Amino acid sequence: MTETDFDVQGFARDINELLVLSSLQAGPKHGYQIALDVETDSQGLFRFRHGTLYPILHRLEEGGLVRGSWSGEGGRRRKVYALTAVGRRHLSGETDRVQEIVSRLLALLRGPGEATA
Amino acid sequence: MSAPAARAFLPALRQLDRRLPVPVPHRVRILRELEYDLEELEVQLLARGLPAEEARRMALEALLPDGVTLDELARVHAPLYQRLTRHLPGERLRLLERSALALAATSVLLGETWVLLQARLLGSPSPFLWPVLSLGALLGATVLARVFQLCIKGGPTAGTGGAGGILGLSAAVLLLAVVGTTVDLHRFAALLERSPERATALILPWLVREASLLSVAILLALAGGLTWFLLTQWLVSIREAHRRVLGESIETAPERR
Repeated sequence: MTETDFDVQGFARDINELLVLSSLQAGPKHGYQIALDVETDSQGLFRFRHGTLYPILHRLEEGGLVRGSWSGEGGRRRKVYALTAVGRRHLSGETDRVQEIVSRLLALLRGPGEATA
Repeated sequence: MSAPAARAFLPALRQLDRRLPVPVPHRVRILRELEYDLEELEVQLLARGLPAEEARRMALEALLPDGVTLDELARVHAPLYQRLTRHLPGERLRLLERSALALAATSVLLGETWVLLQARLLGSPSPFLWPVLSLGALLGATVLARVFQLCIKGGPTAGTGGAGGILGLSAAVLLLAVVGTTVDLHRFAALLERSPERATALILPWLVREASLLSVAILLALAGGLTWFLLTQWLVSIREAHRRVLGESIETAPERR
């Protein structure tokens, strides 16, 4: 990562994608279950509202990071998402990147005295 | 799909259907996925002890896309062609598409001619063969334009029809060949009346000529008819899936037929 390529809005979008990927590490889930789990696991810090989950899921599916599959049960059709190997690698790499960004941000916020303390 | 009586989210889904600017096959999948998730989230919220109205409201608030999300969904589900040509000015794109269509029609005509030349059927063709081939090229161009419009450019919308033009052109090709053969037959009969001694020499080439005219027309009409059938069946299956997800039977939604 260079000093000039950091995009705050893009980072926020990436965080949402990582939350979804992270939730799917536990196993395949439906969209609503991902939304519930993210909210529960983050103790209400992160919430998907107004259907923002769907463009994220569909974008991840198009990128091959998750795999969506339809199944029927009692005449109902439902879509389940599962993390792919590509998605797992992406999550791992991006987690490191987020960690680096957050560390640098914290160092910046705390100031030079705090950082060295 | 749940029973219509239990489909409490249908009004919201119908409203969303009108606002979601993506091709119908994508829209059906999104609505179907959303309906299941809404119902299941409502069940989960009810299990947490929330009143029914509150559970429904919270499920809708969490999962029903707002305007910004709809725009995002439209971007994600935009056909590849739209994404690739997004930066081209409209006029230029239309000109390119029309040029490609004209090129396709010319290619079909040249292809037909090449096949007939290879089969040595253009020695002394029926005067009706060229109009049949030209109509066949128009039919080919119409098929390509329709397939391009439906499968590549934008996918079908609820009101998409127009495959009937393919069937009409297929029938016209066949009709023209039958009329041509009838006219040729009368002219040939007149010729034989004038010089009956040439009948033995003329009849076989005439039969080959007319057989090739009819064969070409039948093949073109069959190809057109088959394409019409496949496209129509595809459109019908998409529309029925669309109606099912919105809880409309064919009888209750005649305006969408």
